[in-house]
Amino acid sequence: MSAYAALVPLVVVVGGAILVLLLEAFWKPADKTPLAVLALLDAAAAAFALVRLWGSGASSFEGMLRFDDAGIAFGAIFLAAFAFTVLIALKYLPRQNADYGEFYGLLLLALSGLLVMVSSPNLIVVLLGLEILSVSSYALTGLKRDDDRASEAAVKYFLMGSFASAFLVFGLALLYGAARSLDIRAVAAAFAGPDGDSLLGPAGLMLVIVGFSFKIALVPFHMWTPDVYQGAPTPVTAFFAVAPKAAGFAVLFRLVAPVGDQAFRSAKIHAVLGIVAGLTMLVASLTALRQRNVKRLLAYSSIANAGYLLVAVLAGDGVGLMFFLAAYLFMSFGAFGALAAMSRRGEEFHDLDDFAGLGDRNPWLAALFAVFLISLAGFPPLGGFLAKYYIFSAAVHKGLTPLVLVGLLASLISAYYYLRIVVVMYMKDPVRDIEPDVDVPAVYLVLFLCLYGVLQLGLFPGRLLLVFQRALASLIM
Amino acid sequence: MPLLSLITFLPLAGAVLLVFFPRERKGLLYGFALALTLVVFAASLLLFARFDASVAGPQFVEKAPWLGFGIRYHVGVDGISLFLVLLTTFLLPIVLLSSWSYIADRIKEYLIFMLLLETGILGVFLSLNLFLFYVFWEAALIPMYFLIGIWGGKRRVYATMKFVLFTMAGSLLMLAAIFTLSSLFFKATGTYSLDVVDQARMALNPRLQTWLFLAFGLAFAIKVPMFPFHTWLPDAHVEAPTGGSVLLAAVLLKMGSYGFIRFAIPLFPDAVEKFLPVLSVLCLIGIIYGGLMALIQKDVKSLVAYSSVSHMGLVMLAVFALNVEGTTGALFQMLNHGLSTGALFLAVGVLYERAHTRLIKDFGGVSRRMPVYSAFFLVAVLSSAGLPGLNGFVGEITCLYGVFAANKIYAALAVTTVILGAAYLLWMFQRVMQGPITNEKILAFPDMSLREIACFVPIVVLMFWMGFAPRTFTSRMDASVAAYVQKIKSRERVFVQAPAPSPAAVRGAVPERRPR
Repeated sequence: MSAYAALVPLVVVVGGAILVLLLEAFWKPADKTPLAVLALLDAAAAAFALVRLWGSGASSFEGMLRFDDAGIAFGAIFLAAFAFTVLIALKYLPRQNADYGEFYGLLLLALSGLLVMVSSPNLIVVLLGLEILSVSSYALTGLKRDDDRASEAAVKYFLMGSFASAFLVFGLALLYGAARSLDIRAVAAAFAGPDGDSLLGPAGLMLVIVGFSFKIALVPFHMWTPDVYQGAPTPVTAFFAVAPKAAGFAVLFRLVAPVGDQAFRSAKIHAVLGIVAGLTMLVASLTALRQRNVKRLLAYSSIANAGYLLVAVLAGDGVGLMFFLAAYLFMSFGAFGALAAMSRRGEEFHDLDDFAGLGDRNPWLAALFAVFLISLAGFPPLGGFLAKYYIFSAAVHKGLTPLVLVGLLASLISAYYYLRIVVVMYMKDPVRDIEPDVDVPAVYLVLFLCLYGVLQLGLFPGRLLLVFQRALASLIM
Repeated sequence: MPLLSLITFLPLAGAVLLVFFPRERKGLLYGFALALTLVVFAASLLLFARFDASVAGPQFVEKAPWLGFGIRYHVGVDGISLFLVLLTTFLLPIVLLSSWSYIADRIKEYLIFMLLLETGILGVFLSLNLFLFYVFWEAALIPMYFLIGIWGGKRRVYATMKFVLFTMAGSLLMLAAIFTLSSLFFKATGTYSLDVVDQARMALNPRLQTWLFLAFGLAFAIKVPMFPFHTWLPDAHVEAPTGGSVLLAAVLLKMGSYGFIRFAIPLFPDAVEKFLPVLSVLCLIGIIYGGLMALIQKDVKSLVAYSSVSHMGLVMLAVFALNVEGTTGALFQMLNHGLSTGALFLAVGVLYERAHTRLIKDFGGVSRRMPVYSAFFLVAVLSSAGLPGLNGFVGEITCLYGVFAANKIYAALAVTTVILGAAYLLWMFQRVMQGPITNEKILAFPDMSLREIACFVPIVVLMFWMGFAPRTFTSRMDASVAAYVQKIKSRERVFVQAPAPSPAAVRGAVPERRPR
């Protein structure tokens, strides 16, 4: 295989992004559908290029870019998230007067950033990917230019993101000082080495973790999330809830899992992360109880889910982590897709009261939304249950029982607020007269694909687990 | 033929098919659902016919690998679960038939949830793998949540949320205990297995057993419900539609007591022994408290609900007697309670459809206008109060016999259930059915329709059958119950919880890799 093989998926994605941006600038199509189709085709091509790399361990630039199988598995999650986002946005954007062709270009750029993040063992390259992702994310958040809330969200995201990057860069500098390299393996080796218990390395690692905690919204670094998620256009929110989180946890897992084996130094880091995980699950669930806006509620739910993922990282359960992310991809896009359908020209209906009587008015939409909510609440036999099962079971196996009890408590609380939406949809009479225009075939396509995903993962995940296992085998070297 | 899978999943298949039926065609929807549940009942009768009463272990076993980590599709039926399965499949057609005029809107969804519920309940009774059991246990919660929440009374949303959160609080702790068991089993043997048979052979240290038992016990105690975890029950019962109440009382509560017999007691016998006094006293409090509360209820439906607390208290007390008589009596009484309380709820439903009230003071002298109804209602009342010749008597006497053998004081106190039961039931019957007609509306009540009679006849026939020929039923329980009691008494444990896995200890457990 050529020395540039690992570069192919990235080139395809970035090339597509540039092509879309150029077309938007010079062709200026009134209807942006061709651009969306182009973006989807580009993603499909990238997926093809990515899958071809499976098992090859292709690397370029002296190992600075290296698609191992785990990276490919995460890449598949990003690509699916990307496709779902485009499909949801297809009709949503024109309705909300935000029909800019740049959307697809920016989204592709964000995708390329995500792919870079999971395809390098070198932390500085990871940082590069993160920055590409972040900059496109800020722009995507503020896509609705005339909307105050969107602008506020974009500024907030930008400021918080910059803070996080600062932490991250400083942490990397300290790590480099401790390990003389930013290769993850070298860092892990340095921790195992004789100087492993000097202050430099752990301090750097903590700062890096803080930086990532901002990005993946762990309590207490989550304050920006609800505002940004609420202000951003719904498809973008759905994308944020899944893809950057997956990438962040992929990096965190690579970083923490090998270091985690070094018993004594990591014990403290593990304890800190355990507290963060517990807080994340509990605080987010408790705050979600008080939300009346469904989009904001889902933002809190996504924070709580980050807590569960952190438990997986602590338990060293890579398969559980990937499985949870795959299940969360379907649940989250299902829920946000249903939310995107609750809109019409110039208006969005995200208040809890707007959902009253939906079970009568739009039985299909309500039923699908209910399935995703019930899956998020962790009821069997849906994907969300099995995902939590694997993670918690691995955590108990590792002796993290108190953390699991906290997680189960958070699940119980979360069942209340998820089911409250179902209550409103099916058991309350409409409060006011709203007419969402639910003629959105592409969104329904997403919803049914997600339904399939949630059921398949909940009942017969078989092969997927095997794939994740193989992917993981390539990760731990 | 995979008979058990057929019985379990036929309702699910029916529910999926129903999605594609036109929602206006009431007759077609009901006809299909009814026919389907009748087929399921017929299939379970086949089970009854082919059941070998001399075998103690599970029969009709089906095993298939599923998710790895010891999670298998493993179902089977033995003398303990057989009649609970039959009770479920028997009541479902009756419940559907009784809902014909009560459920006015969203009939299609109602029937779908009913069928889903049947699958969930049957799965709970048939599962022999802890994970599978948990899946069905939780899955049965969702349809009931909708049944109460959509078709319930005024405070339905409150009642259904309370029901779900109470149940879930318990079952999540059970889930944590399942994780622990899975991990312990792996550490002891080097393989994963969540099958009950394998798990029951693992020796656990007493302290751990205590915690695990508390986690399992809480989940089941909430479901039964045992005092003081019963507060969800009156709310859920009163607000649920008739069909929902019937299934809730007749079958869903049995999931709790069944859970104790199948899982909590065999898995943690040492802990059970330790907690026996506490549990028995809680049962006694439940018996007396439930009876006294039933006495003062103004609403017929909540009276029946509190009577459930009392009756299930006796069932659990008999279970905790841990002897053959007590266990047989508990199993038999579980069936009785299912039939008689089911019939009582149906009877209340019949009355409610006419009067749109359930307050005792609004009635009086109903039997003059509705003689046929009066007869059926009386049989149900007497069955519940334990009149000799009817099923309730046999169950109560066997239960008390078992309790007496274990502890005489408990038995003496438990007898109050008979006295209190007769008091609140007959007093209620007297106030509602007899005396002068005080409410003019009663004059316009039509007697029972043929459809309503059709709901009651099979139940009443069974009540007499179980009263006169209980051996039809208990003879099929004997072998399994004897084995169960012998097992908890002897406590044979094969595996020792050793730090290093020894291959020799892995007997019977199939080695399993990470998932396939």
